[in-house]
Amino acid sequence: MSVLHRVRSKPALAVSLVVVTAVLGVGLLFPVFQVLLTALSPEGLDAAGSLLGSSVNRGIVVNTVVLGLSVAAVGTVLAFLFAFVRTRLDVPFKRVLHVIAIVPVVSPPFALATALVVLFGRNGVISQGVFGVPYDIYGLDGLTIALALSFFPVVYLTLVGMMQRLDPSLDEAATSLGAGRAKVFLTVTLPMLLPGLASGFLLLFVESIADLANPLVLGGDFTVLSSRAYIAITGEYDVASGAVFSLSLMVPAVLVFLLQRYWIDRRKVFSVTGKPSGRPQTYRGPVALCAYAVAVLVALVIVLINATILFGAFTAVPGVNNAFTLAHFDFVLFGIGSEAMVDTTVMAVVAAPLAGLLGVLIAYLVVRKLPRVGPVLDFVAMLGVAVPGTVLGIGFVLAFRSENLVGGVTVIPSLVGGAAVLGGSVGIIVVLLIRSMPAAVRAGVSSLHQIHPSIDEASASLGADDSTTFRRITLPLIKPALLAGLTFAIARSMTTLSPIVFLTTPDTKIMASQILAEVDAGRFGNAFAYCCVLMTIVLTLIGLVRLAIRDRGPARARAVPTPEAPVLVGAVKE
Amino acid sequence: MRKTMAVLAALALTTTACSQRAPEASGPGKEVVVACGAAEDWCQKMTAGFTAKTGIPANYVRLSSGEAVARFGASKDSPEFDVWHGGPADGYEAAKEQGLLQPYTSAATGNIPAKYRDPAGYWTGVYIGALGFCSNRDVLAKAGLEAPTSWDDLLAPGFAKQVAIAHPATSGTAYTALYTLVRVKGGEEAGLRYFQDFGRSVLQYSKSGSAPGQMAGRGEVATGVVFSHDCVKYQEEGSTSLVVTFPKEGTGYEVGAVGVLANARNLDAAKAYVDYAASATAQEIGPTVKSYQRPTSPDATPAPQAFDPVAVKLVDYDIAAAGKAKNGLIERFESGVATAPAN
Repeated sequence: MSVLHRVRSKPALAVSLVVVTAVLGVGLLFPVFQVLLTALSPEGLDAAGSLLGSSVNRGIVVNTVVLGLSVAAVGTVLAFLFAFVRTRLDVPFKRVLHVIAIVPVVSPPFALATALVVLFGRNGVISQGVFGVPYDIYGLDGLTIALALSFFPVVYLTLVGMMQRLDPSLDEAATSLGAGRAKVFLTVTLPMLLPGLASGFLLLFVESIADLANPLVLGGDFTVLSSRAYIAITGEYDVASGAVFSLSLMVPAVLVFLLQRYWIDRRKVFSVTGKPSGRPQTYRGPVALCAYAVAVLVALVIVLINATILFGAFTAVPGVNNAFTLAHFDFVLFGIGSEAMVDTTVMAVVAAPLAGLLGVLIAYLVVRKLPRVGPVLDFVAMLGVAVPGTVLGIGFVLAFRSENLVGGVTVIPSLVGGAAVLGGSVGIIVVLLIRSMPAAVRAGVSSLHQIHPSIDEASASLGADDSTTFRRITLPLIKPALLAGLTFAIARSMTTLSPIVFLTTPDTKIMASQILAEVDAGRFGNAFAYCCVLMTIVLTLIGLVRLAIRDRGPARARAVPTPEAPVLVGAVKE
Repeated sequence: MRKTMAVLAALALTTTACSQRAPEASGPGKEVVVACGAAEDWCQKMTAGFTAKTGIPANYVRLSSGEAVARFGASKDSPEFDVWHGGPADGYEAAKEQGLLQPYTSAATGNIPAKYRDPAGYWTGVYIGALGFCSNRDVLAKAGLEAPTSWDDLLAPGFAKQVAIAHPATSGTAYTALYTLVRVKGGEEAGLRYFQDFGRSVLQYSKSGSAPGQMAGRGEVATGVVFSHDCVKYQEEGSTSLVVTFPKEGTGYEVGAVGVLANARNLDAAKAYVDYAASATAQEIGPTVKSYQRPTSPDATPAPQAFDPVAVKLVDYDIAAAGKAKNGLIERFESGVATAPAN
């Protein structure tokens, strides 16, 4: 059955396909295409030439890859460690560790890096104050720590999901055949987790090379492609080569997508084992204790970082002059920052539910309705997070500053700039939507893969059409995935920075860009106060969403298997 | 595969079938939209002051220089902004090269000394900031050092790994320092040789120009090379052990500017805004929000915290010449002194 035939016979499918294609085409491909045109200008081609030719630029490429690999390695180990403690150890405070491990998801960019400098910098509260060591945190080591801590939670959630679904009977079989605990772990459990570990490794790699905030604060002399692109634009006024540097980041990202597909296919081999029966065996002994100790230590660092942010928000100059003050909160809540607080929240509240719904709709089309075209759709949607933010932002200005006409008729009015529709907020909301949708797509896809199509078929054979089945059967079943997608969408919409810088107007002020300005002006107290307020808003919104969704039909939701957290490049940060 | 191609074609179609038209200009002279290159509170007071004086509503968006030029360039045919205010003149030079500004001169801009404005009138200087040494008294005392008063003081062995400065490829502040040393030492060769020796003292070449001042404030280094008004600001924000000194051989400076954008939609209001920005009234606003640059208007009273041109010797800093020499100098700096991504 061809796509056209299928679409013609089902109007609901046709409508959703048109909506999805329009959003992705207009909001993502069109702007990126505009930037590609810029990159193909003579200056852009020069920059591409120097990227390959100059030894300085080759060094930057090497730095980028080294950083990506070290963050991926450290982050994957951390994620596995926490997942291991959560699912395989019988130790106290597991629930607390779980919550602490997820906290970095809601931290705005800059917060973690700035707090690390205050704590572990050359004159840091811990490094100098406690140990008396003037540790130089700027560079690869500091960056690796900051990025690994920022991005590991998403991988952790994925691994926990996988480890909880592993069938303990396999372990039991191995044990009864005489294998010791270590041998069971290394030869049975670990191989089954390998695809999850690999996909986490790749996700961390892409996230860390695309990150901008941390290299700006902690990079020191260590320059990577993302900060180089930023410098080309902000320091050298050269948009064309900035675009080339940014676009070169997409090469590894695309390779990762291709690798991901390969691993997903591999994974199907054992996710068919169904729901686990019995309890997984728990580990004890010195190795288990070591793992626990490390996890607790890392959790303490995360707590310390967040405590620094909170404490710093109430002190004159965090780490230098610790006099108590409410001035920072006054600045954020009642002064210049209050407008940004309201604007950011309103736009996130509009963008996040749209992102969640659209993401789940795409997942449904990909998994259930369009088995062959689906992967392309999936891939395009995921580009939303793989395209560097700067590229997306400039692309939006190029694409939507002017009205777009087809045959002389206005199809898309001006979306960007103060004179645009609703003071330019539409442009910003579309960017937030594009940036936060991939997480919902990933959550939806993983969840739908777990639900047997026979449930849909039963509905259809009882006479329900596609849209009814989706609304009444599929949507309630994947509610937890929708919830996970929404959670990530809210966190991401509130903290997105790099594309937004190019879209803010007098009517739309954004907290993340004000945090950057405060860090740059050296007013860390204000920056920390912003972070506290931002995290409070994100947590409140997530709490409200959870309440709202839980209230309706908990009985049905309970029948659903544990949702797998967003697995691939649909994660949360800049 | 055919279906895949069909979807791709559909997506491609949506991206290419469009043409663009600039949005209709809203009525002229109704308001002025400012791209503001300074701190948020500075921008707010400046635009509010303009509205109070002229009755014309003024809105602003805070943008760093590079972001501003990128945005101006991307929306060249239908500019979002009418005026650009604040931020160093080298950004204005770059915008001028790209045809993003239009010249405007008046009695008000003519009042500004000629060396602080573009001869062709594309930008007018509204403040001056001088480079200085931003030192942490506690760290100096611990290391047995005196606050430096000469560029050569920084070469002393005691300052090894005790100085922070931004990298000239990434920061206008640091490039100002590089070009200043070229003037002080009498040539590119001598200036670059200074930086080769100076490298021993440098802990880190940061990306942002103001970061070295913060590092000194946190006691990570003894001295940061930054604009002196930034150092005074960190002092007043609470880093009380900071102290500002200037090199006796002479120091470089930046000129903060204002300019009218090409194709500005509210041209009359934009011109009125430039006149306002050049006036003493506007230039005396800075100190109320802890921006202690020196005003360019001879009629404005400088804040006591601003550098004193009698006590501080300024080098003969030619902004246009510095801009022309930039690419070559940075290339030589990167190959001979410190590559941007080094170790």
